[in-house]
Amino acid sequence: MNRLASTLDAQEFPALLRAEPAAMRRWIEQNRRDRWILCLGTIVLGAGLYGAVMGWWRHPLQALFTGIKFPLVILITTLGNSLLNAMLAPLLGLNVTLRQSLMVILMTFTIAAALLGAFSPLALFAVWNTPPLTATTGLASPEYGFLQLTHVAFIAVAGVLGNVCLAPLLRQWSGSAAVARNVLMAWLAANLLLGSQICWLLRPFIWDPARPVEFLGPEYFRGSFYETVFDAARRLLSS
Amino acid sequence: MSDYNHPPPLPSASLPFSPGQPAARPPADDPADQQPIAGFVETVESLLRQPRRLMHQLRQPGRGHAISALLFMAILCALVYGLVVGTFSGGTQLWAAPVKTVVGLFFAAAICLPSLYIFACLGGSQVRLIEVAGLLAGLLALLTVLLVGFAPVAWVFSQSTKSEVAMGALHLGFFLVATCFGLRFLLSGFTRLNTRPAGLSVWTLIFVLVLLQMTTALRPLVGTADTLLPGSKEKKFFLTHWSECLRQPAPEGRQALQR
Repeated sequence: MNRLASTLDAQEFPALLRAEPAAMRRWIEQNRRDRWILCLGTIVLGAGLYGAVMGWWRHPLQALFTGIKFPLVILITTLGNSLLNAMLAPLLGLNVTLRQSLMVILMTFTIAAALLGAFSPLALFAVWNTPPLTATTGLASPEYGFLQLTHVAFIAVAGVLGNVCLAPLLRQWSGSAAVARNVLMAWLAANLLLGSQICWLLRPFIWDPARPVEFLGPEYFRGSFYETVFDAARRLLSS
Repeated sequence: MSDYNHPPPLPSASLPFSPGQPAARPPADDPADQQPIAGFVETVESLLRQPRRLMHQLRQPGRGHAISALLFMAILCALVYGLVVGTFSGGTQLWAAPVKTVVGLFFAAAICLPSLYIFACLGGSQVRLIEVAGLLAGLLALLTVLLVGFAPVAWVFSQSTKSEVAMGALHLGFFLVATCFGLRFLLSGFTRLNTRPAGLSVWTLIFVLVLLQMTTALRPLVGTADTLLPGSKEKKFFLTHWSECLRQPAPEGRQALQR
């Protein structure tokens, strides 16, 4: 860690958080291992911490599992979409290499993870104030709904801000606001599509009343997020 | 659209990434666009980053090699994506879906090529059939390369859902997005040739309809059936087939989820 700190300028990480285009440009231009490690470390730490808070409501073991799974969602999504994102950018007018696009997306997730890490004391406060899980708690219980909404709000804010930070860089890079917007939207859509499904596969993150505490159950590989949403909407409309 | 026609220069050692400056738009006869393309990887790179370089190659005397490379790339990428489509059902579909994907795409392109050429001529163009074929090969190559980009996402979904309708809709969505980019390549190719075929919008509609009908004519692509291809009494228009699929009861997994 000391070696990492010595090779990285102490101001680089705050500059990344401020989304300074010049700093982000340096990160993309220079392929340095210490920056990759810093990004991965921030994602593991920030998202892991937030994940642990999410799972804490149920059980410390669930906190451990969610703390591992949440960074995994981000990393699997980044890697799974890396090829697609690198293809979409040049087609939309921004010439980037696979490594550059991977670094850019990793940086946005790094910012989001740092935000999540910063939100985790607040989320922990929300968890602490939520009535504990009892035998009568169900999926329709208000406390569970409150926790779900709280986490969704924190994660959405972190995700949106992480991506919005990317806009000035893309605008400068491409020299066109329209290209920057299109690339950002395409990357967002691709990450949302895969990210939602990865979340679905790796659930539960908070709690599943039908199962004991476990990392993954075989039934969690069934179905898809969008199918369930579609079915729910269809049931709602037909009732 | 103009952004696509004039993409910013490729960051390289000699031309470093410079976000501080607006991307320069190279002139039409940029020497970089006239560099010969060698090898599979360079063809993919040109297709994605330097389409004008590829279009320049398609106008040169040795264009046969470029077209062959594009067609080879399209076959290879369609096979890869078809394999991902086949992993949903496994078994026979592991080889049938890739073959059907290749056959469907190439058959659709082959039957649409004459009309594209005629439309180009009707627009007053001096374009040759081989040039139009080259652009169509570029469309197929770009479409299938993008599908390979979508393949990891499609695979994740195919391993987790049991719903043929959901998987079909997902593949269809990916196909439509990839086709849009392919059609943009075709349009910019015609712009490069200083021509715009009369009724290109009509041709685009026809091409998309043919591709969609292929999904029904070559069924099952997703899921399984007793036969590899539908019999003569099972011919359907794709909209009919899709509406029938939507009316089917939910699979066991989904019913369980609904409970």
